[in-house]
Amino acid sequence: MPFGYHGRYLRIDVSRGVGEYVPLDEMVLRQYLGGSGLGVRLLLDEGAPGFDPLSPEAPIVFAFSPLVGSPLTTSAKFAVVSKSPLTERINDSLASSGFAVAGKRCGCDALMIVGRAPELSVVIIDDGDVRLESAVEHRGATCRETESALRSRLGANFRIASIGPAGENLVRYATVSHDGRHAGRGGSGAVLGSKDIKAIALRGTQTTEWAHPRELTELSRSLSKRSFGPATAKYRELGTATNLLTFNRFGALPTRNFQSGSFEEAASLSPEQLTATRSKTRDSCVACTIGCEHIYSLGDGGVRVEYESLFALGSLCGVGDADAVLRASKRCDELGLDTISAGGTIAFAMECVERGWLDEAWLRFGSGDVLLRAIELIGSREGIGNLLAEGSRRAAYAIGHGSIAIAPQVKGLEIPGYEPRALQTMALGFAVGARGADHNRSGAYEVDFSDKVDRRHVTLDAVRHAIETEDKAALMDSLIMCKFLRGVFTDFYAESAEMLRDVTGWDVSADELRETARRIVSARRQFNLLAGWTPAEDTLPERFLNTPLPNDPAASLNRERLDDLVAEYHRQRGHSGAHDAE
Amino acid sequence: MQVEFFGVPRERAGVSELELQADTLGQMLNALAAKVPSLGPFIGGEGRDLRLHSSFIASLNGDRFVSDPGTPLGQNDRVLILSADAGG
Ligand code: SF4
Repeated sequence: MPFGYHGRYLRIDVSRGVGEYVPLDEMVLRQYLGGSGLGVRLLLDEGAPGFDPLSPEAPIVFAFSPLVGSPLTTSAKFAVVSKSPLTERINDSLASSGFAVAGKRCGCDALMIVGRAPELSVVIIDDGDVRLESAVEHRGATCRETESALRSRLGANFRIASIGPAGENLVRYATVSHDGRHAGRGGSGAVLGSKDIKAIALRGTQTTEWAHPRELTELSRSLSKRSFGPATAKYRELGTATNLLTFNRFGALPTRNFQSGSFEEAASLSPEQLTATRSKTRDSCVACTIGCEHIYSLGDGGVRVEYESLFALGSLCGVGDADAVLRASKRCDELGLDTISAGGTIAFAMECVERGWLDEAWLRFGSGDVLLRAIELIGSREGIGNLLAEGSRRAAYAIGHGSIAIAPQVKGLEIPGYEPRALQTMALGFAVGARGADHNRSGAYEVDFSDKVDRRHVTLDAVRHAIETEDKAALMDSLIMCKFLRGVFTDFYAESAEMLRDVTGWDVSADELRETARRIVSARRQFNLLAGWTPAEDTLPERFLNTPLPNDPAASLNRERLDDLVAEYHRQRGHSGAHDAE
Repeated sequence: MQVEFFGVPRERAGVSELELQADTLGQMLNALAAKVPSLGPFIGGEGRDLRLHSSFIASLNGDRFVSDPGTPLGQNDRVLILSADAGG
């Protein structure tokens, strides 16, 4: 077995409360690495595409990576991979910190959970020994309450991933949370909830060796040093929240369910304004030298603020009251809700009310109290919350009136804070994304914010750039390295190969990693093909294809142009038909 | 012409926008380095060939991203300077 790996995963059947180590072939590890790549490979081997994602037999994988536990900055990450209950397609969400390190120290490269526990339970993995204990007393507890109660009960050296009430209630965009961070998108919290698993608590002592420890230490030092430089200054000094005013200026800030690309109250949600009336502290994931987390005081606690939460719960719902947006974001964290899908689904419902398609007169754009009430209802699935807990696509089909045209989603996943008409390479990235509308598996917005394309009139030339960002993301998510580090690399593939050589001892090259990235993208597509993907899914909602942005008529996209871009994407990927992946 | 700052460039400049006289992007960067010394380290090159540091980018009127120092600027133009990694 190569260095950096244990060469096995731990498969836990929670119906029986037992776990067994399953060997992993070295070739599989070299081809899929870890994180998202290894996760999707294990799901394919388990036949996951054919299962109902909320059924007992549906597997959910927590995949670590060869770099976890190494001194490389930002490498303490894990991927949560399953079929999404929101999209019925592949879903891989990443989270960070001690759970990744402790999980790998349980002597495995991944955990797979199948089955359904006899009652609400916690899976306890103590250095590889698996047992189930009741978590009934934690029913309804928030993610943070669960973590702290379980650490008091089991020991402070346990690391815990848990779901909140939203996951227990099978909200289709419930998260898995660890240490205040979330594997956020696609509803992995509902998958755990369907297994009656409230939390996974683990600790371990089994470490892996590094092939070239001296070189690895040197490389880690160099990377850490660069991580203090200008390429990461934005994340260190301001956090992603600073995107808000930039996007607003470019007419790319989705507002009132994508009815506009600029928000008149954007300034009140900017970091400058947030710090004017609140104190702010910074935090970071374990083993990270960047520390992008900006935590603003709120009441007697604090709340992590990210651009995606500010946009989804702020401009998208027309709410400019910063206090209300921060409270909404915090409440989503507590309930274990993906803020993007929560905000997107609520904003969609608000527009349906505005158009007279939904009889919930209170649910109007602009009010912080309304936003908070809607979030509570979703978390508990009460009243209209039961419909909104299904996500905007399912809600649109239930509401009718052709409202699917304005449901802000692709493949069922709500669109993040990038207005597709103003950022058209990103529009392509959303349309073809295996996970749905996704800015983490495609960094195509980077192309729009460059001189490579005209962001409002992209041509087929944009396609190769979009593919490049998708491949790069696949590799970063499988190695796993934090995307906020991406600016420090001068040659990403060559430097990644160097890291992997020093960790594993494999004689891996930049070209091999390019091929690995494409293989992982292809495996995700294969999953979707087996799950029933059709070409018609690779598109955007009608709104984006027949209505220019009101404040920027130049930002217009039509079906013919998007179809051409999508067709060119599949041509360049070598996809010829319905069974072409692999 | 007007220069607008966003994100880290705004932090460094200490203002959200300012007015400068310049006929080209290179001249504008020259004038900027002189007027706002804290931005000096982010403006490199010599003479007419001044360029922004790779961690910053510039957009002309929000329409297109520009880096060629010879890019002509008109009186009513607005140059937006922002962090290169605009998303994330
Ligand atoms: S940059 Fe931020 S998200 Fe990335 S590892 Fe560091 S603290 Fe975590």
